Amino acid sequence: MFDWPLLQQNAPLLLDALWVTLQVSIAALAIGFVIGIVVGSLRLSPVPLLRRLGGAYIFVFRGIPLLVQLLFIYYFLPRIGLPNVSPTMAAIIGLSLAAGAYIAEIMRGGFLAIPGGQLEAAGLLGLSTSQMLLRIRVPQAVRLTLPALVNEMILLIKASSLVSVVGLADLTRTAQNLAASDYMFIQDYLMLAGFYCLINVPLAYCGSLLERRLKEQTA
Amino acid sequence: MKSYPMQLDSCFGTKVFSKTLKSLSLAVALALLPLAAHADQLADVKKAGELVVGTEMQFAPFDFLEAGKQQGLNAELFAELGKELGVKIKFLDLPWPSVLPGLEAKKFDVVAGPIIVTKARKERYHFVSPIAEATVALIAGAKDDSIKKPEDISGKTVGAGKGSAQLEELKTFAATLPEKVTIREYVDNNQAYADLAAKRIVAVANSLPNISYVAAQKANLYKVVQPPFGKKSYFAYLGRKDADADSLIAALDTAVTKMHDDGRLAALQKKWLGAEMDVPKGDFDPTW
Repeated sequence: MFDWPLLQQNAPLLLDALWVTLQVSIAALAIGFVIGIVVGSLRLSPVPLLRRLGGAYIFVFRGIPLLVQLLFIYYFLPRIGLPNVSPTMAAIIGLSLAAGAYIAEIMRGGFLAIPGGQLEAAGLLGLSTSQMLLRIRVPQAVRLTLPALVNEMILLIKASSLVSVVGLADLTRTAQNLAASDYMFIQDYLMLAGFYCLINVPLAYCGSLLERRLKEQTA
Repeated sequence: MKSYPMQLDSCFGTKVFSKTLKSLSLAVALALLPLAAHADQLADVKKAGELVVGTEMQFAPFDFLEAGKQQGLNAELFAELGKELGVKIKFLDLPWPSVLPGLEAKKFDVVAGPIIVTKARKERYHFVSPIAEATVALIAGAKDDSIKKPEDISGKTVGAGKGSAQLEELKTFAATLPEKVTIREYVDNNQAYADLAAKRIVAVANSLPNISYVAAQKANLYKVVQPPFGKKSYFAYLGRKDADADSLIAALDTAVTKMHDDGRLAALQKKWLGAEMDVPKGDFDPTW
């Protein structure tokens, strides 16, 4: 059932594709995190219009399936005069926008858990709103929501398997192509699963390591 | 379409949101308007020095990857077409459901499936002259003695590609059989072959060139069920159906006809499809 020479031949091709998946996912996580902080704090803004804006963002980008968002960005936006982006750009934009919506809700939970007295104190000390956000709220919220954030990162990396619809040869697409030409479906898809674990297992491990270290710091 | 924004509106009940939606639906409406023809695609392709071809690398023997490199009839045929046009060829690999939308969004110039020419598809796309025969036949398990001729699928479960012309042909054929045939539809043919290998279905309907190739590659798993049961049909490449695409399609038509005449097409058919094929030169009326 297993074919070693074929496995050795396919592994480097999947390794190349692993880089594509990693690049797109890391870029999307970084941008999505920034979007998440902005939208998450908008959701808690004292200005009703900003709150609604944050809500609308989450409604749209969490509500529409990622697959549809990707198709929309890649095929539809050029038709209404927006730039005809490359597959990589379309994938990063789509994944970032969706990740931003989920991370925003996680961050909102984190922000809400910070005692109000801290912000009052920070205000009295003369910190500006952005200083409060970056120095007091975000660091604590990240610490409080770390398990959920790591969860979201893993989910995003797995969701990146959808980017092949815009013509990007990521891990999943490459494995499908290989299986289509060598007909070793089980072997190729098992390898594919293994390659995702290669990213996600260390990521989960780093997450719990970081969690422990932060706990020690606060203790 | 119209009721959708209103539903959202009542959900949210805010002015800001309904405005966003209004401008969104306006954008949708604008985008659906046909774009004005402005250019000559052949001139654009020649200026860029490159013909961009959308395809799916999971369609052996036309397009597939071997050790990560493109192989098959399309690569070699387009190399010749590129020579005729004096341009380089660049292939883009996409999952099949994304290929035709990509053509319409002008992500590439032409599509190399190839695709079976049908009346309905001719309405929407501009086909180049056909390059191979596409008549539908069945592929079955190599050791399955219960399937010896197409009629043997009566009362059993078979598969075909969702939305494919081959599926329609299979349905028509199945309706003529004494017992009901259960037809499973697959997003791509490779899933159907995998299910056939796993014995979830007894046969897959697809065009003869495709299944002949699959059966030849994996003789221990699959066999072709002779004879083909479908009406004669043909595979062709296609482009957009708008005024500026006409020049490009005409140039490709001329190149394909030239390859017909000097035997290059026949040689490629023999190499990749196992035999020379008698296909119409130039435009023709598909049977369905």
